[in-house]
Amino acid sequence: MTRVLLLALAVLAPCAAPLRAQAGDPRLARLDPAVRPVIVALVDSARAAGLPTEPLVQRALEGTSKRAAGDRVVAAVRRLARDLGTARSALGPAATGPEIDAGAAALYAGARSGDLTALRARRPRQSLVVPLGVLADLVATGVPADTAAAAVLALAATTADDDYLAFRRNVERDIALGAPPAAAAAVRSTAATADAIRKP
Amino acid sequence: MSDHLEGPIARAVDELRRPLRLDPALDARIMAAVAVEPAPRARRRGPVALWAWLARPRTLRLSPLAGLAAAAALVALVWWRPGTSDVTPARGPAEVQFVLVQPGAASVAVVGDFNDWDPSADSLVPGPTGGLWVATIPLAPGRHRYAFVVDGRRWVPDPGAPRAAGDDFDTPSSVLTVGGDL
Repeated sequence: MTRVLLLALAVLAPCAAPLRAQAGDPRLARLDPAVRPVIVALVDSARAAGLPTEPLVQRALEGTSKRAAGDRVVAAVRRLARDLGTARSALGPAATGPEIDAGAAALYAGARSGDLTALRARRPRQSLVVPLGVLADLVATGVPADTAAAAVLALAATTADDDYLAFRRNVERDIALGAPPAAAAAVRSTAATADAIRKP
Repeated sequence: MSDHLEGPIARAVDELRRPLRLDPALDARIMAAVAVEPAPRARRRGPVALWAWLARPRTLRLSPLAGLAAAAALVALVWWRPGTSDVTPARGPAEVQFVLVQPGAASVAVVGDFNDWDPSADSLVPGPTGGLWVATIPLAPGRHRYAFVVDGRRWVPDPGAPRAAGDDFDTPSSVLTVGGDL
């Protein structure tokens, strides 16, 4: 009897992964049944293209938790999938999942794919997650996208992640105190660049 | 009185001092009797019995085919994990404190891509001062979208963090960047 069971397991085990792929991510069971097949198809397409799928799943879950209409959830996931693909192309095949995700956020904020490529060129061996995140955050606080991209690129070669985060906080503080967003970003970028040069 | 007792005592002492002659086959007979007796089973209950059961060595007879089947099943179990994430799981090394001031709130939860946007996953607890709600959650390095849910229905972005670019669902979220190896 035991042998029969073990033999059955041996036969069924190779089928487990394909069955799971067909079933999709179990978290997607929370989605509206009318929307789920479309989201599953988008996630599967992204996976087939070698893109990170977790951001897509999370965006769908976010929309569902916020009780957004199904068509808006689909539109948001579809747009994110497109941005992930653009970000991966701009950042190169060696880009990590978090880098591609952050790149998609920067593109959504208004950065150009050329900005991502330039950033990769200036920081070829360092993670781009924080610089890309700072770029998106600056645009979200009102800094024009081209100004934000220029500031982030100016700091790319010399600035550590912590300094990027400090730069963003300073810009946000200046804006909260009444400074025009573009001016705040430009001034703080110049100051941060000078600080980086002074550091040993 | 002493003479009266000395007789039996002396005989008993003599008897005890007499060398004992054992049958040379006694050992063999005892061991044979022990061998046919069923081993007494200790009546242990609870964790002790469970531990004894777990720790007792066993002989497992397995054919090569069954061994292969067991190995295949083990491999299937290892690979068959829930979720399809190809990004590092969200929970990780950095302890991040979430704080929200909401006087009069009955409950506050933080939801985001680190807990699958599940309002029941991470509740904030009332802080030392009135209206303050606090939670500390370990997060992996990376960029996280999140928001607060007040009283189970009202979505509130973090006033102390940047807003997430783009609001696809008319309910703004916040963004948190956790530094580290990414």
